[in-house]
Amino acid sequence: MTSRRAFLRTASAVALVAGVAQPFRAWAADLSAISVPGKDGMIVRSYRFLDLETPVEFMTEWITPVNHFFVRNHMFAPGKVDANTWKLTIGGEVEKPVTLTLADLQKVPIHAVTNTMECAGNGRSMQSPKVPGIQWGKGAVGNAKFSGPSLKVLLEKAGVKDTGKHVMFRGLDEVPGKVPPFVRSIPIEKAIDADTLVATHMNGAPLTSHHGFPARVVAPGWAGAASCKWLTEITVLDKPAEGNFMTPGYRLPNTPVKPGEAVKPEDTHSVTGLTVKSLIAGPSDGAKLRSSKQEIKGVAWAGEADIAKVEISTDGGTSWNAAELGKDHARYAWRLWTYSWKPAKSGDYIILSRATDSQGRVQPEAAIWNPSGYLYNAYDQVKVYVQA
Amino acid sequence: MFKLSVSALAVALICVGVAFGPSSPNEALPAGSMQEKAGAACLSCHEARIIVQQRLSKAAWTREVDKMAKWGAEVDPQDHDALIDYFSANFGPDQPLCAAPTTGRDSASKSRSKAKH
Repeated sequence: MTSRRAFLRTASAVALVAGVAQPFRAWAADLSAISVPGKDGMIVRSYRFLDLETPVEFMTEWITPVNHFFVRNHMFAPGKVDANTWKLTIGGEVEKPVTLTLADLQKVPIHAVTNTMECAGNGRSMQSPKVPGIQWGKGAVGNAKFSGPSLKVLLEKAGVKDTGKHVMFRGLDEVPGKVPPFVRSIPIEKAIDADTLVATHMNGAPLTSHHGFPARVVAPGWAGAASCKWLTEITVLDKPAEGNFMTPGYRLPNTPVKPGEAVKPEDTHSVTGLTVKSLIAGPSDGAKLRSSKQEIKGVAWAGEADIAKVEISTDGGTSWNAAELGKDHARYAWRLWTYSWKPAKSGDYIILSRATDSQGRVQPEAAIWNPSGYLYNAYDQVKVYVQA
Repeated sequence: MFKLSVSALAVALICVGVAFGPSSPNEALPAGSMQEKAGAACLSCHEARIIVQQRLSKAAWTREVDKMAKWGAEVDPQDHDALIDYFSANFGPDQPLCAAPTTGRDSASKSRSKAKH
């Protein structure tokens, strides 16, 4: 029997999901809450393998708590990794291949980076026409303080040869069937940036298994796919890695294509840095508000660039006003924002948010469609009803 | 507040339907002549929810089935077209979107969470 409390919890969870304005299919879906230790109130896009989304309403804190941080697994998470026997190898185009233990990593100076990490496919469900992949809503994004050695310092131990142009990562995730492993590489310039980490900690605590214990890459400002979890092998290459998750995976058309159109692989490039984007954390979509003063709030980020401004429209995009940016900021980290609003009269309102970054990029009214639905960043919007 | 609870309850009743009772974290595939074969081909590597959330054209479903067959999904050539029809009929672009469940409150993380929900 489902307890009344469990039922109410389910009901509120459903209401939260319903906030994204999704109609329901005909057959009964089991929407009972699913227990995932260490994760709290997250939207389950997939249980096996695990993909968890943060409800946008949670995005009211600058640092996302680990229990509210999204999870994107392409494969099965490894079983319990033994910190005592875990090893990290560095090989390929290096002078002297090295093998490091967790104790070795702990002897290297620690560098901390507060990074807004976003899955390249975040917002995919809002692409039209629909594209295959995990149908993320708004919340495959979070902001955390990652710390550990700079990847550069570890690469220096092995000595990268002049021929080293890309750095490939392999994790301990378990690959089913003949599925290609989740292996990708990043250019050497990004790999030796002092802010690119082999992180062992997240928000001051050792990484949890969901986030790649005992060590993961953090390539700040880049789509999450660059930040391999459960890291165990680093290979320096003379060219980009091959394999499904480099081509055709994680690629964007070089020039915009007609929605629905196929794109030739040679007309694409790898997804790297994130684009400019804002989200509205409150009020919730579909909320009924009183006609008193309201606070509209949310987050905005721009990958390797800084947020210059966030603007809010409460009239469906006719007029825009600047939101106030929160005081917390760091390179690669999102900014909280707030906007004080006193509705003039009762009725339906469409609230929009759009961000502009330090490179002059502006969040567009409509996202550029692409065959895998990457980097969706159209204006965010919520519809609310103001009662007299 | 009362109104919100009532509407949430109504939505929950529509969605959860008869599914009260012990919950399986894994979604099920819908009934149909290919339900069993689709399950055998797909669900050893991932759960049905990954399929159920897609809304794809027949051409896109064909690409997905062929990709997955290459990646180890056992699809009898005789069933190939029927499988694509099954997915297209149930998860085509015109089908309504589906809702997703959430993780329950984790007791270990309760004290650390400040979010209101």
